[in-house]
Amino acid sequence: MATRDSLIQVTDLKKYYNKGTIKALDGITVDINRDDVMVVIGPSGSGKSTFLRSLNLLEEPTGGSIVFDGVDITKKKVKNAEGKLVKLDIDMHRQKMGMVFQRFNLFPHMTILDNMTLAPMQVKHMGKAEAEEKALALLDRVGLKDRADAYPIQLSGGQQQRVAIVRALAMEPEVMLFDEPTSALDPEMVGEVLDVMKQLAHEGMTMVVVTHEMGFAREVGSRVLFMADGKLLEQGTPEEIFNDPKHPRLQDFLSKVL
Amino acid sequence: MHVSAAGFQKVFQYADMFKEGMLCTVYLSFFTVLLGFLLALVLTGMRMSDIRPFRALGLDKDGHLRDGGFLLALSKFNPIGFVATAYVEVIRATPMLVQLFIVYQVVFNKHVIDLPSVTVLGFLKLNRFLPGVIALALNSGAYVSEIIRAGIQSVDGGQTEAARSLGLTQGQNMRFIVLPQAVKNILPAIGNEFVTIIKESAITYTIGVQDLMAAVKAAQAGTFLVLEPLLVVAVLYFCLTFPTSKVIAYFERRMSRGDKR
Repeated sequence: MATRDSLIQVTDLKKYYNKGTIKALDGITVDINRDDVMVVIGPSGSGKSTFLRSLNLLEEPTGGSIVFDGVDITKKKVKNAEGKLVKLDIDMHRQKMGMVFQRFNLFPHMTILDNMTLAPMQVKHMGKAEAEEKALALLDRVGLKDRADAYPIQLSGGQQQRVAIVRALAMEPEVMLFDEPTSALDPEMVGEVLDVMKQLAHEGMTMVVVTHEMGFAREVGSRVLFMADGKLLEQGTPEEIFNDPKHPRLQDFLSKVL
Repeated sequence: MHVSAAGFQKVFQYADMFKEGMLCTVYLSFFTVLLGFLLALVLTGMRMSDIRPFRALGLDKDGHLRDGGFLLALSKFNPIGFVATAYVEVIRATPMLVQLFIVYQVVFNKHVIDLPSVTVLGFLKLNRFLPGVIALALNSGAYVSEIIRAGIQSVDGGQTEAARSLGLTQGQNMRFIVLPQAVKNILPAIGNEFVTIIKESAITYTIGVQDLMAAVKAAQAGTFLVLEPLLVVAVLYFCLTFPTSKVIAYFERRMSRGDKR
């Protein structure tokens, strides 16, 4: 079960709607280790995004557990250090999980720099000077330091998504969750975003990536999960998944997307 | 009907009454918007509060959210929000005139709340003016509360998701992300509500508030002219509302220029 390097243990995760008639997630069990680049693939409606969004409780599961840093975050009450039952502080856990969305979700009324410094200043109570210095360094890494004073609308989709990635990184998360980060981009901008993600993976960031970019899954993924109908049907290394698919649904899916 | 310059000259003998009526209408509208906005803030606060006494019923014995059914619905029930929503719906579904008469004849009759017959702000009769303002504000508050709610709901849900996933609390999300964006939708609509109230305040004439409509009645009675006083008052209302809506439109444009979406 949980190894020393295990960061998130998902056990029998379920998300049912309408008294169980709709099963968005139907018993997902998976271990996410530190330094993993876990790529989740599958047809649309398979529950990939629901799975990812459950990891930081943007979706509240109806069953199962998600143990993150040793705490089951699906429980409303958890034992603290003294063994007393206290209310789970989900905001504290979310700080450690960066999330990147399909539609970027930058804050349109703030400059890029303010987008980057808001959470470090408000949540981590970092000083303005320090937060801005860190933000500028991160923006520099993705080649957007000179756009710090621009507003999101003034940036291209690819630039906005790169900002969204470093905005999440500014909180120094332990894991980054990517929800189809290139699906809303014009084709010529997909590469620049994938490059940033590759760089991140090479630096050893733990990542869970829901994507339709099979090239990325094959090249960067350390493990690939195949989901369909809310179930985890197959998992393995990219070689196993792409070169030797076992499940007929996976074979069928790959024949359509490759 | 015959309209003559001589007729208007007769009406102009009532200029002082029209002037006081116009000031009265302005005061009515101003205090109504002020009180109505405060009421709307309270109503919105009640509707957005997250006080759910049966919250625990939404969880099953393992502490997981239920996947449907009566208990899940009950766990989402917010009694304070329900009261506010019920108030808004009742106000929106009943005539302004009925609400005005209930306030004036039932609440402010001399057996319940007996207002002294005094004059405030120079010429306003308190025992007519105050019930008028309160009835208008009770009505306007419900509509403005709807405006605020719609403004908040118009902010993309992805904004909240992004804020919460960065670790911001729900309160911080509201303060830094949702409300600054909602205000751009809310302020112009509240400006339009101000214009609406200037016109709707005419209804308080029916309980004896000496507003523009009272000046019309006096001029009609004194001159035996029907149309001229009405034309004069229509022009005066227009002079109040048209510039107001132009000023609002100006600010609306200025705000959307700053809107970088």
